Amino acid sequence: MPDRFRSLFRADTGQGQRTRGNTVFWILSSTAAALVLMGWLLPWFVDAYSAGAGFSPQDALISPPTGVGTILIYVLAVTMVILVASPLVEPLARLRGTTFGRRADRIRLIAALVGFALTVVIWFLVSVIQEEPLFGSFGPGTYTDSAVWLTMYGYALAALVYGARPWVVGRQTLAFGIAVLPFGIFLPLMFHQAPDFLDWAAGSLAIYMLLALGLNVVVGFAGLLDLGYAAFFAIGAYACASFASPTHNIHWPLWILIFLGAAIASLFGAVLGAPTLRLRGDYLAIVTLGFGEIIPDLATNNVFNLTGGPNGISGIDQPKFWFLNFSTSPRWYYWSLLLVSLVVIVLLRNIERSRVGRAWVALREDEVAAASTGINTTTTKLLAFAIGASVSGLAGAFYGSIVSIVSPDDFSFSVSIAVLSIIVLGGIGNIAGVILGSFILTFVIFWVLPNMNEWSTTLSQTVHVPGLAGIDFSSYTYIIYGLALILMMLLRPGGLLPSRARQIELESGGESESLAAVQGVA
Amino acid sequence: MSEYKGPPAADPGALGVGTSRGGSAMLVAQSGLAPRHGRAGGILGGLGPLVRLLQGWISTYFSLLLLGMMALAIGLTGVQHGVTLMGEQIKNALVLGAIYALVAIGYTMVYGIIELINFAHGDVFTASGFYAFGFASLFHLDSLATGSFGGLILALVIVFPLSMIAAGVTGALIEFVAYRRLRDAPRLAPLITAIGVSFLIEGIMLVVEGPDNVTTHMASWINGEAFSIAGVSVGYTDLFVIGMALVLMFALGAFVRRTRLGKAMRSTAQDRTAALLCGININRTISATFFIGSALAAAAAIIYSINYGVLKWNIGFHLGIIAFTAAVLGGIGNIVGAGVGGFLIGIIYVFGGSLFGGEWSEALIFAVLVLILTFRPVGLFGVEVTTRA
Repeated sequence: MPDRFRSLFRADTGQGQRTRGNTVFWILSSTAAALVLMGWLLPWFVDAYSAGAGFSPQDALISPPTGVGTILIYVLAVTMVILVASPLVEPLARLRGTTFGRRADRIRLIAALVGFALTVVIWFLVSVIQEEPLFGSFGPGTYTDSAVWLTMYGYALAALVYGARPWVVGRQTLAFGIAVLPFGIFLPLMFHQAPDFLDWAAGSLAIYMLLALGLNVVVGFAGLLDLGYAAFFAIGAYACASFASPTHNIHWPLWILIFLGAAIASLFGAVLGAPTLRLRGDYLAIVTLGFGEIIPDLATNNVFNLTGGPNGISGIDQPKFWFLNFSTSPRWYYWSLLLVSLVVIVLLRNIERSRVGRAWVALREDEVAAASTGINTTTTKLLAFAIGASVSGLAGAFYGSIVSIVSPDDFSFSVSIAVLSIIVLGGIGNIAGVILGSFILTFVIFWVLPNMNEWSTTLSQTVHVPGLAGIDFSSYTYIIYGLALILMMLLRPGGLLPSRARQIELESGGESESLAAVQGVA
Repeated sequence: MSEYKGPPAADPGALGVGTSRGGSAMLVAQSGLAPRHGRAGGILGGLGPLVRLLQGWISTYFSLLLLGMMALAIGLTGVQHGVTLMGEQIKNALVLGAIYALVAIGYTMVYGIIELINFAHGDVFTASGFYAFGFASLFHLDSLATGSFGGLILALVIVFPLSMIAAGVTGALIEFVAYRRLRDAPRLAPLITAIGVSFLIEGIMLVVEGPDNVTTHMASWINGEAFSIAGVSVGYTDLFVIGMALVLMFALGAFVRRTRLGKAMRSTAQDRTAALLCGININRTISATFFIGSALAAAAAIIYSINYGVLKWNIGFHLGIIAFTAAVLGGIGNIVGAGVGGFLIGIIYVFGGSLFGGEWSEALIFAVLVLILTFRPVGLFGVEVTTRA
């Protein structure tokens, strides 16, 4: 078995640390290129006939060069081409058997810096001095701001990645964090013209990221497969809904409720775990699945008249301070969730490295051996369940407050599977991988697919293919989950960013048992 | 056979259950059924010997407790709603139980032979329901079946084998694509692909068949009342459903017991290495197991279609979990157990519904599943082999 499994990894195992750092390097440089490209295309994409606000290079191509601004945009276009093409150049060169080394890095770095400076100058010309004649007319409804933010961020990221490549390769997690965090902080400013996108970032991305981080404790760290994770999410959401809505006429602030939701959910986690944790992996999976189905059933059947039946609970309070009104803009939710996620990430990272975290690893590798070295297996497993559930309850409380109405349909099995797919896609047991996975999957499922309906309708009108209009792309969600799970397990069981323990195992040619342990099997 | 590098990981403290109990247990799971070593009371162990005693007592008498409660539920229904309704419900329970039993056999066979919960099995059930619907409309079987008795027989003879072969090929293909490469991988890996396959099939059916109920016209195939006992009217459909399920189950039993392939399946389930050493083609045997299990699911789906007349893209998921509960109830890996468990679960589902209200039926089944796995993971007919530390 190990041979067969290792062969799947052979490309990675050859160079070890260097290769792993390169993965992050390629992710970051491709992201930079994608951001530059997005900034370029956004105004055109949003409204093909407004010609943006004269910011994009293609506008410069359409309108004749009339002044300094247009010339600047021509130069900008050259740097964009260099950056967008750059992630492709090196693999192509490797195919031909040569490499571009530092020289290519230097060219890209210069392109990135020049592009960054140009973007700032053009943004200054357009937004501050309002130099209309140079760029054509623009109104307040255009997406120039978002486009400029994206382009600037892309150039800055490219400059960081190409300018400090050895450092990025050496300290990949830190580099990843430094690259991603400003994007997270500035996102509401970047997309203030697109509230839908902010809704997505707060209501889908951040919530699912929290859920995935929590499930990662159970599945990744402790190696227990939990298929009913949505139940704890539901418990958190209903806790928030019950204590902050007109239904029971209790109005507690959200800041208390997130802790309450987490506490109740972790209590339920312990209660569920106590009798079932003696079961082996796949039996635990099916019991948790059953639990995940029972909880929405209870909510649907309006147990003890608490849950409002199939319609759920509506009118959940949204917090309001002096000038921070959460109900008017999703950005305040977004920032609070960002802060909470950061705290959760740091906490989980510390737990992973603590005595408990090591106990989880021991338990995951060999339960009998762990028990014989004095680890209390039941308590340790329960702790994993409770901690995982508490993160989920926290996310649930936020979710209830954001959407302001909770109903049993929001917590179906597909939520649990979405979270599992995120973990499997990103890398079981690796926090960075889980974050990456939640970005990719929530973007595809909750942003691209819902918008595809609209895009394809528009496209069908422009190219006159009526067949494109009727497709409901959101029904492809299940296929995407299924393919993600199957393909990742067959082709890259470690996920996109495998955890370090797994990587070390694979490099040292671990035996099947320890490999099994790293794969996360009890 | 270069894939095979070692025996499946044996579990300390677990034995093959009921290997040769009068030929009743046919495919028997190797291990994984008994709770792992030690700590009878779990987290409650600290509360003292009383809890441990209670838990041990429940584990030992679990079968009696469950059967007693079922009898109580049936009796209560009779007292509350009258004997006629009780009889109707018993009939409904048997019809539902026949379907669960056929699906449960697929779960139990696959778990017996490769120790994998085949989550996709319930969705193979739904898919084969749609296959049968497709064949019926392709060959215009509806008019044929409703025309005359001979036409009905002909329609059944056409639709059953075709759908069963199609479903069997689907099942074997799933095994080949998604599970075979992971057969010796860590257990979590094939479990996750199984969930993935389940979602993939559901997604395809959602896209192809749409999100709403699809009416198959098979409900009109068999009509009429056969006889009635004490006011309970038993239709030909009911007789057909139960009879067909029993015939198929006995055929399968004979197949597993008497044929060479059945023997190969039993020996592969017992010890894959030894089977390999005896010259059994493991891959072919496992493919055959998936084929047969899926074919039985197809038969169940046709029966379901004839009885209820509606299909939906996601019915297989919940039905699959309920059937899996039946398999666990009968002792997973045990074909006869799965058959009996299916009927028992049918009774629990129907009478639980009539006592607590239909909306609680599924929650009740999940509760039963949790209780079985907690107190008696070997199932009703398994022998408890737990070694208490």
